[in-house]
Amino acid sequence: MSLLGSASSLVLQAGTILRPAAEVDTDESGYITAHPFFPDRAEWLYGGIAFLIVAGLLWKFAGPGIKDGLAKRSERIGKEIDDAAAAKTAAAAEADQIRQAKGDIAAERARIVAEAEQQAAAVLSEGKARLQQELADLEVRVRAEIASSRNRTGDELRAEIARLSSAAVDQVVTGSLDDATHQELIESFIARVGASR
Amino acid sequence: MSDARIDGYARALFEVARAEGTLDEVEDELFRFARSFESSDALRQTLTDEQIPAAKRQAIVEDLLGGKATNTTTQLVSMVVGSGRGRDLPSIIDKLVARASSAKNLEVAEVRTAVALTADQQTRLAAALANATGKQVNLKVVVDPSVLGGVVATIGDTVIDGSVRTRIDQLKSRL
Repeated sequence: MSLLGSASSLVLQAGTILRPAAEVDTDESGYITAHPFFPDRAEWLYGGIAFLIVAGLLWKFAGPGIKDGLAKRSERIGKEIDDAAAAKTAAAAEADQIRQAKGDIAAERARIVAEAEQQAAAVLSEGKARLQQELADLEVRVRAEIASSRNRTGDELRAEIARLSSAAVDQVVTGSLDDATHQELIESFIARVGASR
Repeated sequence: MSDARIDGYARALFEVARAEGTLDEVEDELFRFARSFESSDALRQTLTDEQIPAAKRQAIVEDLLGGKATNTTTQLVSMVVGSGRGRDLPSIIDKLVARASSAKNLEVAEVRTAVALTADQQTRLAAALANATGKQVNLKVVVDPSVLGGVVATIGDTVIDGSVRTRIDQLKSRL
């Protein structure tokens, strides 16, 4: 029997074994031709030999390939497991870094906020001090300017009064100097000089 | 011009006036002309302008003084101006007056008034100044309207100021 014939027989046997009890083949006399589970002894022999041959052939020709495939698959799966473990480790490390960064970010945010508040307070304080100084300087300048303006105005007023007075004196004196006054002044001078020694 | 040259011109003018026998009159006329020369910018510029020919400047002098001063005075001024020494005319004349006064043992007293003095006033003023300074004075009166009133007398380095101008200036200064 060829290998294909053995295989066909096995299939037929399997079909017979799996057939429901209601559909068991009977002959024309109504006897059952074969046990649904236990075939004849010859069939046990042929089937066993065929099985051994097929198994031997499979072990001989397909076994190394299957073994190699299984080994490669195992290796691949192991590698994938290793990769997954490495990825898991990396992910865990990254998660740690993220958590740490998150913590750092919070700390940095707190530090920046504190620093900004400190700088704002310093700027506010400095600005306040500067404004106060500028106000003080401005007040001093304004007071000096007021005093200067007052003095300048006083000086200008005095100068104007002096100028007007001078002009008035010139006009009054010149207008009042008639001949009699000239003679009186000359005589007064002669008398004063003559009396002095 | 150097002092020596001014002295030389003053001595020459003095000798000419004395030789002519008109020293007092010439001295007085020259003194008044010198004061007019100093107070008049136009006259000073005209008589010292080198661009104007000397003959023309001399003609101007003769026109100004002709009939108003002695011939000696006119000729002496004309000579100084014609020789190109017009700028030094006041200095030359002052030296001449000082020399003439010194020759008479007198001190020159320059008196400035706003109005002319009478002869009597000049005599009494000369006596008063002599009394005040202890020196006999050769009175030279200059009518100067800027004095306004009163008298300003200058004898050497001494100034006796009784002018209205000065009193007004003092008043203005106080104001």
